[in-house]
Amino acid sequence: MTESEAPAASTPNLGKGTAIAAAVIAWLVPGGGHLYLKRWERGLAFFALVAVSAFLGLKLEGHLYRPVPGEPLATLGTIGQAGAGTVYGVLRYFVHYEGNLRGAGFEYGTAFLLTAGLMNLLLVFDAWDIASGKKD
Amino acid sequence: MRISHFFLMVVFALIVSVFFSLLWRRERPAQVRLFFQLFLGMVLGGLAIAWLMYPFPQGPPAPIP
Repeated sequence: MTESEAPAASTPNLGKGTAIAAAVIAWLVPGGGHLYLKRWERGLAFFALVAVSAFLGLKLEGHLYRPVPGEPLATLGTIGQAGAGTVYGVLRYFVHYEGNLRGAGFEYGTAFLLTAGLMNLLLVFDAWDIASGKKD
Repeated sequence: MRISHFFLMVVFALIVSVFFSLLWRRERPAQVRLFFQLFLGMVLGGLAIAWLMYPFPQGPPAPIP
């Protein structure tokens, strides 16, 4: 294990309240958890990456999953895309976006939208770990 | 939007590689090294799989419901 892979022992545990706040903010705003924990560079980079992925998904008219009774894969897709937090909520409940099945970029767009949600879910866990002192 | 399968694959690999190199590494040299490993792995791996699939027939296009 190299130095860069090892957890930073000197990172302080900021307490459960801060960890919960960081995780919630990270879910609501991509990169927000890192910005809240003063990891400015990483926070902005993560925001840009999730935003670009979601934007490409929308431009390619990818599918926005929602739960369908009897279709567990749709539920999994919903969980993945809902990881994008506010982005998913706005698209589903305010814009009523669904995607375009006949669009040439439908499959690619769906992959980009799923990637945006899954990346943001990982950021939630990362923000939690940083606030808990497990990572730098 | 004009779509190229290869271009989209490269963009996808770029986004994912930058993301994981920032998430999993802290020092810049380690981030750059991991970025190239992931990026080249995905792009070259995709091309290799496409090359291996080349002899297989495409079959009829899937029906649009």
